[in-house]
Amino acid sequence: MFIDMHCHSVSSDDSRATVEQYLKWVQVLRKRGHRVDGIVLTEHRKFDAGHDYSSLASQYGVVVLKGSELDTRYGHFLVYGVTDRLLRAVNFADVAMDAVELVRYARECGAIAVPAHPGRFGIGFIEYIDGGPDFSGVEIVEYLNGGSRRGENERGQELADQRKLLGIGGSDAHFVSAIATCMTEFPRAIHSEGELVEGLYAGQFRPVRLEETNHQSPG
Amino acid sequence: MATEQQLDFDRSQLGVEYPAGAFQVRKEDILRYCKAIAERAPVHTDEEAARAAGHPSLLAPPTFCAMFVRAMGRPDIRLTFGRTSFHAGEALEAHAPIYAGDTLSAATRLKEVYAKTGRSGTMAFIVWETSFTNQHGELVASVQESFVRRD
Amino acid sequence: MPRYFDDVEMGEELGPLETTATDASVREFCEVWGTGSANRFTDHEAARKEGLTGAIVPGIMSMALLSQLLTQWADGGSVKKLDVVFRQLVPHNIPLRIVGVVTDKNQVAGENLVECDVYLETGQGDRMVGGKATLSLPRKE
Repeated sequence: MFIDMHCHSVSSDDSRATVEQYLKWVQVLRKRGHRVDGIVLTEHRKFDAGHDYSSLASQYGVVVLKGSELDTRYGHFLVYGVTDRLLRAVNFADVAMDAVELVRYARECGAIAVPAHPGRFGIGFIEYIDGGPDFSGVEIVEYLNGGSRRGENERGQELADQRKLLGIGGSDAHFVSAIATCMTEFPRAIHSEGELVEGLYAGQFRPVRLEETNHQSPG
Repeated sequence: MATEQQLDFDRSQLGVEYPAGAFQVRKEDILRYCKAIAERAPVHTDEEAARAAGHPSLLAPPTFCAMFVRAMGRPDIRLTFGRTSFHAGEALEAHAPIYAGDTLSAATRLKEVYAKTGRSGTMAFIVWETSFTNQHGELVASVQESFVRRD
Repeated sequence: MPRYFDDVEMGEELGPLETTATDASVREFCEVWGTGSANRFTDHEAARKEGLTGAIVPGIMSMALLSQLLTQWADGGSVKKLDVVFRQLVPHNIPLRIVGVVTDKNQVAGENLVECDVYLETGQGDRMVGGKATLSLPRKE
């Protein structure tokens, strides 16, 4: 399955796209021969527990999952499999939270925290990894990010290669037409946040650009 | 670093609406504005063409009233965070046409102040909402502006 | 010729509109804006004193350039909303491309509304300003 692991709806302060508009745009991409199976909404500094997108998801035939993108003192982290327990343990609005603790809490709560756009200048994980905190709990980074500027994805991939980290991809879409420009391919079917976390811990996935999905038969 | 809760500013100003002045929509300003952005649509650049298209006078381009916001007398919210400020975003909603010769009255209010992090480190965002009403008492435009403050 | 709602398709592209914000055009804009004196928008040295590499285009001028693409494309229609995020500072005197794409069509309360994503890019395609626009278009009789 091809899943966009990182996108923002109007629930985030800097996005201008509704979830339904993303799903309509996925139909445009499918008509163009691309393959997009799911998206994960990763709103900034919050988890949208109250929003239920299941009817939209079935209407448009797209898996819609929810995660978060949290600001930390060591860059932004994507969190998948957010649970009530994790929400109680971590203040999602705290832009100065300790990412090492976030990674540990997430694992303890059955979730997973992954550095977003690690090669991003000024804010990427790469800026903090040397000589500081113990990031041995980080095994995956989002080195294919659709919002990156020139050279930033390459910096992230180099980091992943050096440290033997696995990579995921996400569009980081804030506008409709940016959805699914980067995704992650999983060999297994994923229809829930739990299955997504299992898929990530299983370690079998790869980041892909939208263009790489062209002309593949659905299944 | 600052979480949303820690940003120091005058919270009593949140949501309070202030009158922010009256502004004349001058034909020569519309024409100079169009020249600066190379706007050539006749309804914005030629009064006769505007009248021929059914307008009472020269039609202001869609984002013209955003020009007035800089001149507004906004209260100091006493935000202590950051040393420099940039425009982060602007949302404009047009409710009715704005014409040369109109007088617009503005009212503005502080919508929110919050912190986030990005390529520039920790930043504070300040969001203002402003509405413009014409001389007939008709709401013509709403503008939401976001400014970012950082070190 | 008017652009009719009936003819617009999801995914249809707007532009590109190619332009340059020159020192002179930014100064003209700032004079109308009431900020014509030397500052980060009108004077390269003043901008450098603020730590910038040179003078920058005001956000509302970038927004005005984006709206120009919309008014050109939506002939016979009108711009209802334009919501813009300034992601990078826009320098003077470089080739700019303004592009857009239709992302949604809806009929709401008797209006024929088209939504578009719009971007202000460098000549190399780096997106400095992004926005979402809502346009009202006429229908064919």
